[in-house]
Amino acid sequence: MEKYAVYVPRLVKKRENFAPGHRACIGCGEALAVRLAFKALDNNVIVANATGCMEIVASQIPNSSWHLPWIHTLFENAAAVASGIEAAYKAMRRKGMDVPNNVKVVAIGGDGATSDIGLQAISGALERGHDFTYICFDNEAYMNTGIQRSSATPFGAVTTTSPAGKKSFGQFTWKKNMPEIAAAHNIPYVATACHSYPFDLMEKVKKAVNTPGPAYVHVLSVCPTGWRSATDTVIRLGRLAVETGIFPLYEVENGQYKMSIDLPKLKPIQSYLKGQGRFRHLSDDLIAQIQERVKLEYEKLLGKAKNGNKRTKRNR
Amino acid sequence: MVKLTINGRKIQAEEGTTILYAARDNNIFIPTLCENEAVSPYGACRLCLVQIKTARGRERLVTSCIYLVEEGLTVETNTERIRKIRGVLLELLLARCPDSEVIQEMAAKEGITITRFYKRKGNNKCILCANCARTCEEVVGVSAISLANRGVDRELTTPFGDDFSEACIGCGSCAYSCPTGAITLIDRGSKRTIKWPHNRMEFKLQKCSVCGNYWAPEKQIAYIAKTSGTKLSEYVACPDCRD
Repeated sequence: MEKYAVYVPRLVKKRENFAPGHRACIGCGEALAVRLAFKALDNNVIVANATGCMEIVASQIPNSSWHLPWIHTLFENAAAVASGIEAAYKAMRRKGMDVPNNVKVVAIGGDGATSDIGLQAISGALERGHDFTYICFDNEAYMNTGIQRSSATPFGAVTTTSPAGKKSFGQFTWKKNMPEIAAAHNIPYVATACHSYPFDLMEKVKKAVNTPGPAYVHVLSVCPTGWRSATDTVIRLGRLAVETGIFPLYEVENGQYKMSIDLPKLKPIQSYLKGQGRFRHLSDDLIAQIQERVKLEYEKLLGKAKNGNKRTKRNR
Repeated sequence: MVKLTINGRKIQAEEGTTILYAARDNNIFIPTLCENEAVSPYGACRLCLVQIKTARGRERLVTSCIYLVEEGLTVETNTERIRKIRGVLLELLLARCPDSEVIQEMAAKEGITITRFYKRKGNNKCILCANCARTCEEVVGVSAISLANRGVDRELTTPFGDDFSEACIGCGSCAYSCPTGAITLIDRGSKRTIKWPHNRMEFKLQKCSVCGNYWAPEKQIAYIAKTSGTKLSEYVACPDCRD
């Protein structure tokens, strides 16, 4: 899927649902991810957007980048608002009102809105089984307010609230595994994606939205401002995150794991860390520690994917 | 701008757009399989059939992916008559491609699960929409595959039905543009296999000199180098490793 080179991009739909001219930073990976995600969908979508970068940059009065019906929600309740929209449509249909029957509801939020502040609303919405899609655009800290740590910030990363110095090496906890939390709700579709694999991302978003019932897509989006990396390395960093195994791409369909990209050998983690200023201070011990953890997690995931494949074969 | 009415809604569309795109811009859903913005319209699947009434009062059925918008046009996309015809079309497609999930899903949306017609044997998902052939000719510019023969014998094939097409560069655009999944592309190690309904072809992938990953078919790289007028030596490393 990812080896489509030059010609396939010309076959993709030209209409944009997320217009250019917004106020995102130079080289913003999240804006790219949002654009690709909504390019994959038609215009029969209602978006509930939690507070965060994408709300700030795309909706400054009197302008808006959204060609879709769009609601700004609070940090904590994007999933609750989305489930409310879905329930309202259901109720209107039950009362016999003339509403279109192919309306899709998508809630989007950053990593803070997803894994810290909005976690209980998401958990509730996933548990109640509303027919909606939650897309998390994960740039691994609260970038919009000035790079504060979130629970999705990786181990060792420097943020303004987890600085590196004599007594600290930056973030000292591991990244919260949000896709696994979503998968633990036994929802029909969970996937991870990255803007550096555009066709994979678009395919997954399309699949998630067309799945009846709740779906969750976790998109890693590189943030050059917060990650202290060069703006021209956004795509490369996304690809390296996948190729080193620190952010593996996989889907969970009805509890069955499937790896999206077949990597024969993982690249060493240094190639990912060295391009980013937030990991500049890391000693060799800490890098070895991260490498070990990444390998362990990746193998755990591979094991799950393997068991899933066996189960599908047996069922056939 | 042209003013027209679709399903009772007065809408405006730019001159030269088709009914299908005008409807889609206003969130009126018309089912279709063979439509692709990047290539010229073809009107093969007939699922986007709509009922129109021109400003002079003439009524007829047209495929909305080909018919351009006109001043004073009245379009109905979901009448009893259209639903009946669409149902028969879907039944015929189901009989032709019983294994295609896309068509099954589409039919289920219209409330059709069984077909009255004779089901074709064999795992054939091709509906002869020529999306692949149009893509190959117009987007890639190589014309490696096309539809051949007429009537019931019509099929998608490589030149002379061989398992080898001299012109094919293995880019996989046909597999991407196929709406029903009749064409598959599998990358395994250094080999890429593209399977068309009646033929298959294998390609050697080029290895990146830096990271060692296989990244594109050799023939595609040669074609890109030729059309862009660059040297082949610029393509030894994959896009990730190029500086």
